[in-house]
Parts: sequence; structure tokens; C-alpha cells
Amino acid sequence: MLARVLLALSLVPALALALCQPDGQDAYKVRLSIKTALGANAYEWNESEQFLFRATLAFAMRKYTGQETFNVSSVIVCNETPRVSFWFVVTNPNDTTTLIPKNGVEEAIRLSRNRINSAFLLSDKTLQFVGIPPTLAPPSQPSLPVWLIVFGVVMGIVTAGILALIISGFIQRKKKEKTIEDEEEKQERIMENGISFETLEGKDGVNNGAYSHDEDRLTQL
Amino acid sequence: MVEDSRPSWENPMQFVLACVSYAVGLGNVWRFPYLCQMHGGGGFLIPYLIMLVVEGLPLFYLELAIGQHMRQGSIGAWSAINPYLGGVGIASVVVSIFLTIYYNVINAWSFWYIFHSFQGTLPWVECPLSSNLTTYVPECEKSSSTDYFWYRETLNISSSIEDHGGIQMGQALCLVLSWMVVYLCVLRGTEATGKVVYFTATFPYLVMIIYLIRGATLHGALNGLKYMFTPKVDPKAWIDAATQILFSLGLGCGSLIAFASYNHHNNNFEKQAIVVSLINSGTSIFASLVTFSIYGFKATFNYESCLDRMQLLLINTFDLTEDSIKTDHLDDWISHLNASFPDKFATISSQIEGCDLKSELDTAVEGTGLAFIVYSEAIKNMGLSQLWSVLYFSMLLMLGIGSMLGNVAAIITPLRDSAFLTRHFQKETLTGMICLFCCLVGLSFTTRSGNYWFSIFNDYAATFSLLFIVLIEIITVCYVYGLKKFEKDIELMIGHRPHWYWKITWSVISPFLIIGLFIFFIADYIMNGTPTYQAWDSDLGKTVTKEYPPFAQVVIGLLLVTSMICVPLVALITFIKKKKEQAKESKRSTKVC
Repeated sequence: MLARVLLALSLVPALALALCQPDGQDAYKVRLSIKTALGANAYEWNESEQFLFRATLAFAMRKYTGQETFNVSSVIVCNETPRVSFWFVVTNPNDTTTLIPKNGVEEAIRLSRNRINSAFLLSDKTLQFVGIPPTLAPPSQPSLPVWLIVFGVVMGIVTAGILALIISGFIQRKKKEKTIEDEEEKQERIMENGISFETLEGKDGVNNGAYSHDEDRLTQL
Repeated sequence: MVEDSRPSWENPMQFVLACVSYAVGLGNVWRFPYLCQMHGGGGFLIPYLIMLVVEGLPLFYLELAIGQHMRQGSIGAWSAINPYLGGVGIASVVVSIFLTIYYNVINAWSFWYIFHSFQGTLPWVECPLSSNLTTYVPECEKSSSTDYFWYRETLNISSSIEDHGGIQMGQALCLVLSWMVVYLCVLRGTEATGKVVYFTATFPYLVMIIYLIRGATLHGALNGLKYMFTPKVDPKAWIDAATQILFSLGLGCGSLIAFASYNHHNNNFEKQAIVVSLINSGTSIFASLVTFSIYGFKATFNYESCLDRMQLLLINTFDLTEDSIKTDHLDDWISHLNASFPDKFATISSQIEGCDLKSELDTAVEGTGLAFIVYSEAIKNMGLSQLWSVLYFSMLLMLGIGSMLGNVAAIITPLRDSAFLTRHFQKETLTGMICLFCCLVGLSFTTRSGNYWFSIFNDYAATFSLLFIVLIEIITVCYVYGLKKFEKDIELMIGHRPHWYWKITWSVISPFLIIGLFIFFIADYIMNGTPTYQAWDSDLGKTVTKEYPPFAQVVIGLLLVTSMICVPLVALITFIKKKKEQAKESKRSTKVC
């Protein structure tokens, strides 16, 4: 009797190992890059860390299926390498010889990916489940694209500048026209007298450009 | 001689800065570093400097002299020199019109990148996600996030020039804005432009200095600088140097004549010509230093990422501990693993990349590819990327606007000289109409195939035609107008005759060089057969070479012909007019008798 029990007990881990096969149909490969992620603060990967992993995965299965029967023993790990990579399978809690199918495991992991990552202080890139692509965060889309706002500001400034210049040019021209009109009137009055003598009196004299020199013969740079 | 009421620069410094702002343009930043890389730094600088002294300086001097003496835009100036060759002025204006139409699109792109830099993460840092949120958009994955942002999100480029798509709203808005900025600057005429060029000429230097300091401190910058100075022997360097000098100084477009026409008669333009040309070349070299430090940084970054990728691939496949493979001994590890586990190695052998720093540095890019793709790739890896991005694209914008002001002046000055137009239109209205016309035509460059048309204009509108114009200019002045007469004019202006060096270069050396370039261009065109262009293939995620369809080749032909034909056409018309006048004169004289 005792011998049979012993035999049965020794078979269980053998069975467990048989269930967990690398490249198995329902098995997943996990790869951890602890040193890349944490550098100097990297922790050692040992049996306890492994235990935490199995517990986290059991938690993920519980959350996904809603069945609280999943336990650490449901998750079987094999083929650990110094890389820190290994394969795992999840057994059905009701029937420990069958495995949970691949997509079930995948969905469970996807659902709790964040929790699993945080348990190990890693990210989607450094805790890789080979075959399960990470869900990438969509970039935030503001209601109005930011560039239009900046564009609007610049466009407003430029339009204001153009209008200001056009209007001030217009006003300047109107003023010039007025002063020319005034001068013409003055000139006419002087001319009406018909005496050239008075034309010289009335104005400041004619500027003869031939005698005006520039400040320097050669303008300096 | 009474001074007429032509507007003028407030002081000579404004004239110099306007010339600098015009000459120092995007070509200094994106064409010269490329040529340096192609011909190997030191190997290119020597032909470049020789061509500057022998070809660039004399021609620059010549154009300033003409403008300052004739005191008119290019059309009036050349008609005054010789009525038969007034067509040269018109050809200049036609080339300037083509130039203004397509050049402002670059400013629109600069604006687009500046506006998109005001975000938490720059939009070209990451690829956007596909609809199921698990992968990136395939086009982006095959190329790169910066390529994708440029070709897809900015240009939304189509796969060939025939497929024109619609006008891209974002581009169109930015183009309208660019034209409004240009209008704002030229609206009041030279007086206002004189103030703007203080900023457009000096701001780019400020940014380049900041970038040089930052670039020199980037990891890997020295690799780039070392590469820049390793010479490669190449006979084509001389030809590229000659063409680069000619186009970089902006000769033949009429802008220099326009700017110089607003000078006082006794302005010492000889000194100014030398100063501006030296500044232009100095800026090209300076910009290359900046560009090569950035190249070095980018190449080193890519090289080290490649090494990291290979390291990860090896430790993942062979399940080794994380820090077992050091990137310095990567090649040893690869051979060791290949020998020990050949089967396993065979599974990943297709993914093994040869990481080579030199091949990263060898990727020579010019033009919009350098400015908008390579630089934005480098910027995304620098800390505080938004700041660097805004600085860099603002610099591009200032360089572009400075050149645009010169181009627009080349069109407006001759038109304002025409008494007919000035009587009927205010200067603001005339300028506004020109800007509006160019803007509307320029909208065709904002369609999905717009970038292909842009390349056509960039390669053909102002290259061969300018060579022709400059050649006719120099032959006209030396042999038709007369070198002696020209010397006397210069003596009247600056008080002494030009040194014999200038006379020799004007009459012999420069025409000889330009004719040589001319022959080379024609031979090159004949030998290369149908011209081709680089089309973006969205499925492959890279550019493919395609031939231009017939209608595009017709446009190329038209671009070349419309400007060059002005010269013989005007000569013919003037000849016919003179004949008619002579016939009238002889009729009148017979009547009197």
C-alpha cells in the first residue's frame, strides 16, 4: 500500500514534467531581462521568484475565469535557463492531467499583464511572453490638434501685421496728398500775384542737387 | 546730377545683410554638406575655394556693379546696356517667378514641422498603431518613424507623379501662411525689407552656433567630423564645386541687381561683394561642421542600436545570461556560436546584420531628405527634443524666407520700374497680386504628387537656365557693352578702376568655365537618357526609381525653354522694331525733301 502511494507520489512530478514540454501545444515561453530593466538594482532569479511568478499567473487565471480553484500548483514550469527564460503550462484545477488551452492562457495574461509586470518591476519589453504581443498604448489624441492652435496664433499675428502696415501706408499716403494739396494752393496764391520776386520770398529756395554732396564720397561698409 | 526719388537702403549694412540673407539659403545647409560627403571633405574644399575666387566672386561683383550703376531692376538694366539683349532681364524674371513659386513650399514644410514640435512627444518619434492596437502601421515598420512622418503624415505622397490626389489641407494652410509672411516683409518695399533682414540674416547663425556646441558634445560626433575630413579622389568634384558656387550665390536671378539698384551711387560695392561671398562660403563650411557632428551622432546611435539588437538576438536564441556577451566581442561570439551550434545558428542567420559604422556614415543624403528626415531622426534622440526641433526648423524657415525676399525683389523691382504699372497700381496692390498669383500656383505643390513636381522644379527650373543667363550676362558686359566702358562706370562709382584680376576673370576665365559647365550639363543629359525620379512605395517602405512620363518631360522642357527663349525673342523683336523705325525715318526724310 505504502509502496503504491510512494509510486503514485513519485509519478506526479514526472507527470507534471511530462505535461510541461517546450514547444508544446499549450505551453508558453517566458523571457525576463531583469539586468536590462533594473541595472544595478537587479535581483537574483531564484526559487522564490519562480514561486511568485507561478502565484501571479494563478491569480491571472483566477481573474480571467472567475474560478477560485486555481492554485500555485496549477502552474508548471520547466526548462529554466540562465538567460532567465522558461516554459510553463497551466493545468485545469478540476482535472490536473489536462491543460488550459493556449488562447485561454493568452487572454488571461493579456487581461492582467500590467499586474504581472508590476509584480516583477518589469515592463512589456523586459518580461516577454513569446507569442503574446504587448498591447501598445495608443497615443493621446487631443480634441483639437495642437498644431492648429499654434498655426492659428501665428496666422493671427501675421494678418494683424499686414493689416496694420496696409492701413498705416494708406494713412501716410492720404497725409502726403493733403500736404501736397496745401503746397499747391500756396503756390497758386503766389503765382496769382504774377511777380517772380514774390515767388522767391514765399519759398525756401530751390535745392540744386548738382551741388549736394553725399556725406562721404565712398560710403563705408 | 540730381538724385531721383528711388527708395534706398537706410544704411549700407542693410544692403549687405539683405545680400547675405539671400545668398545664405537652404543650399548651404543641405547641398554643401552632401557634396562634402560625396567627395570627401578635404577633397572638395579645395576645388570649392578655387571656384569661389575664380568664378563666384567676379560674377557677384559684376552683378552688383550693374545694379548699382543702372539703378533699375534686371529688365531695365539689361535694356539700358544693350536694347537687343534686354531679354536677359526678362529671362531672369521668368526664372525668378519659377523659383518663387516652388521655393515657398519648403517654408510651408518648415512651418508644419515647427507647429508639430509643440507636443509632449514629437510625432515622428513613434510609429502610429494599426487599428487593432497590437502592431504598428506596416508602412511605418518597414521604413522608419521619421520617414513615415515625412512621406505619409506631412506629404501624404502618392506612389507616382501621375496619381495627383487632392490638395492636402495642412500643407495648403502652411503655404498660405508662408506667403502671408513673405507679403508682410515685402509689402512696404525695400525700407521694410531692410529691417527684416537684420533678423533673417543673423538668427540662423545663432542657431548654428548653438547646434555646433550641442553637436560637439553629442556622443559619436567625432566619428562624423573625422569622416568629413577624409578626402576621396574624384574628378567630378570640380564640376560640382563650380555649379555649387554659381547657384549658392544666387547669380543670374536678378535679385542682386534689384538689391544693388537701391544703393547710393557711390556705395563701395567691391568690398561688399567680397565680404558677402566669403560669408556665404564660410557659412557653408560652418553648416557642414554642424551637419557632420549630427551625422556622426546619428550614425553612432544606429550602429550601437544594431549591436544591441544583435546581442539581444544571440542571448535570446541561445539562452545565455544577459551580460555574457559584450558588444565589443560580438563578432567573436558570432563565429564561436556558429561553430558550436550550427543548426540553431542557421535559424537566425537571416536576421544577423553586419553592424558597420562606416556604412552608416556613408549614407549621403541631400535636400529635403537631409533636412527633414535625417535631422529629425537625430533630434528625436537628443534630450529636450522639442526645443532642438523648434530651433532647427525655425532656422530653416529664416534661411528660406531670407532667400524668398531676394527672389520676390527680383520680380517686383523690374515691375515697379515700369511707369505704366506704377501709375495704375499702388505698390501694395502690385506686390499683393504677385504674391497671390504665386501662392495659387504653388498650391499645386501641396497635392499628393506635389513633392514630385517640386523635384522637377528644383532640378530644372533654375539650373541650366541660370547657366545660360549668366553666360550671356558676362559675354554682354565684356564684349557687347565693352569692358573699357564698364571699367569707367565702376571708376565713377567707387573711385578706382577694377584690378586687372577682375578683368581677366570676367573676360576669359569665367566665360570659359561656364561654357565648360554648359557642355557638361548637355552631355550628362544626353548620356543619361530619360530622366528619372524617386517615388515612394508605401508597400515596400522605401523609394523606387521611376521614369518621368511624357507630360512631365514636356513640363521640364517648357521650364528650360520659356526662360532661355526670352533672349533671342527680345533680340528679334527689337531688331524688327528698329527696322520699322528706320523705314519710317527714310520715308520722312524723303518727304521733307
